[in-house]
Amino acid sequence: MRVLSIAFNTFRENLREKLLYNLLIFALLMIGSSVLLTRLTVGEWDRLIIDLGLSSMNLFGILIAIFVGISLVSKEIDKKTIFTIISKPVPRYEFLLGKYLGLVVTLLINTAVMAAGLFVVMAYLKAPFTPMLLKALGFIFLEFLVITAVALVFSTFTSTTLSAIFTLAVYVVGHLSTDLKLFGDKMGDAGKAILNAIYYVLPNLERFNLKGHVIHHIDVPATDLVLTTAYGLTYAAFLLLLASIIFQRRDFQ
Amino acid sequence: MMSSGHSAKVFADPSPSHNKQPWFCRRMWIKLTFLSLSIATLLTAILGFQFELDQRHDQKSGRLESLRFLPQGEVLRLALLGHHHLGADVIWLRIVQVLGEDVVAERDYEWLNHALDVVTTLDPQYVFAYDVGGTILAELAHRVDWSNRLLHKGYDANPAAWRLPFILGFNHFFHLQDYVQAGEYMSQAARIPGRPYYIDTLAARLYVEGGSPTLALSYLDSMLQQTTDPQLRSVYLEKYKEVMVARDLQNFDQAVERYRQARGKLPRALSDLVNEGYLNTIPEEPFGGEYRLHTETGEVSSSTHPERLHLYRPHEAKSFKKSI
Repeated sequence: MRVLSIAFNTFRENLREKLLYNLLIFALLMIGSSVLLTRLTVGEWDRLIIDLGLSSMNLFGILIAIFVGISLVSKEIDKKTIFTIISKPVPRYEFLLGKYLGLVVTLLINTAVMAAGLFVVMAYLKAPFTPMLLKALGFIFLEFLVITAVALVFSTFTSTTLSAIFTLAVYVVGHLSTDLKLFGDKMGDAGKAILNAIYYVLPNLERFNLKGHVIHHIDVPATDLVLTTAYGLTYAAFLLLLASIIFQRRDFQ
Repeated sequence: MMSSGHSAKVFADPSPSHNKQPWFCRRMWIKLTFLSLSIATLLTAILGFQFELDQRHDQKSGRLESLRFLPQGEVLRLALLGHHHLGADVIWLRIVQVLGEDVVAERDYEWLNHALDVVTTLDPQYVFAYDVGGTILAELAHRVDWSNRLLHKGYDANPAAWRLPFILGFNHFFHLQDYVQAGEYMSQAARIPGRPYYIDTLAARLYVEGGSPTLALSYLDSMLQQTTDPQLRSVYLEKYKEVMVARDLQNFDQAVERYRQARGKLPRALSDLVNEGYLNTIPEEPFGGEYRLHTETGEVSSSTHPERLHLYRPHEAKSFKKSI
């Protein structure tokens, strides 16, 4: 119950964030621009709408997750509002969980708005709709869950600027981690062990990328879907636990 | 002098009795005029500079150069962090714009070859890019080798796209005149679901054209074994018989040629070829007709199919090529 009220408060606070609306408007503009671009291309015009739509949703959603996520905790510390909460009998992990859930709800509504924009454009241009699109959208949201958790971990122990840089770095490395394993396989035993360890610890964000599957109508086996969902949720849970441990030991000045 | 004195009075005396004065006094007007003039001047200057810079640099060739110097697809794919499908779309969009602008008259298509390679490395399943790219490289750039390489890359990644082996077959037939290889590609295309059915018999024709009716027969045989559709089977059977005629006629031609070289004259009847040991037996005409020898020319023909099975040659199809 306490978690939910913190979450609700965070959500209301997020709605006052101007950055959120800026990014949302840009995302909708990008999605809408495919109306113009489809006139310029030759062949397979519907893939342009879906590619542009899914990529902008993904990119702007990640930006929202990072830039709103990093200020979740540090803003409370800067404004000293955190003292009013932790001086009450609220465990710190509940505070963190509430903050996380609040942002997740914000992101869910954002994703829904952007998806609605995409569907409107698709309906207007009469692009065929496939169920695979919904799976891809679900996986994009799963990526948001992980990235938000990463941002939360960093925001518990560093400044907002550093958190933003670190989280962006994790986002970049997360999309390249498959190559890390590839490089490791070509190295000696020690190098291979180290790179493999890094590969398994870092989030493999490419797993949540189903954008190509939508345009090429490639289906994903149900077990893969379930496993990837489980992977994303477990990773987010692990990060939340990590954030709680760090936050528990943190001393507020 | 007048204006400064007047406005000084306005600002010096803020009493409510002066509220009736218009808010835009003369100084305000001067200020406004000055501001709008400066904005207009700066805007004109910006537009002028932009225009001048555009004139200095040929934008069209600039766009072409940007495609020529695209980074390798493998590198770009890493840098796009999972958005490589959108990257392929954007590059494809730019290729289409440059091709549409008619700036490529200099017969230099190296940039297109590279840009298409980048697009298809970013998205190896982009069948349309292989299809159109392969055609343009062969027909517009006259580089069949590039076209074939691109189509092979696409065919390897998309074994279910029948148009890729089909265009490969077309390139081998039309540009390279390698009919047997063309037949080989067509027979591969003929095994992919979703193809138009004329490809099936086209493969047989290509084999015959390449002087290998036996290959055509074994190909049709395998198609017959795979097919249960009665309509399709009757088409294959009809073609099978036509190829048998073509094979028999090829055997006759070779026997007549050997006979002519050995004896210095043409045979008077087909039975001469058998009697003199140039042919084991006169085969049965598969359509129930008979084979006839034209004693003046030495040519053999079938009574039911007087015209030989053949393909249109490139010189016969020139008008078609011009219209592309």
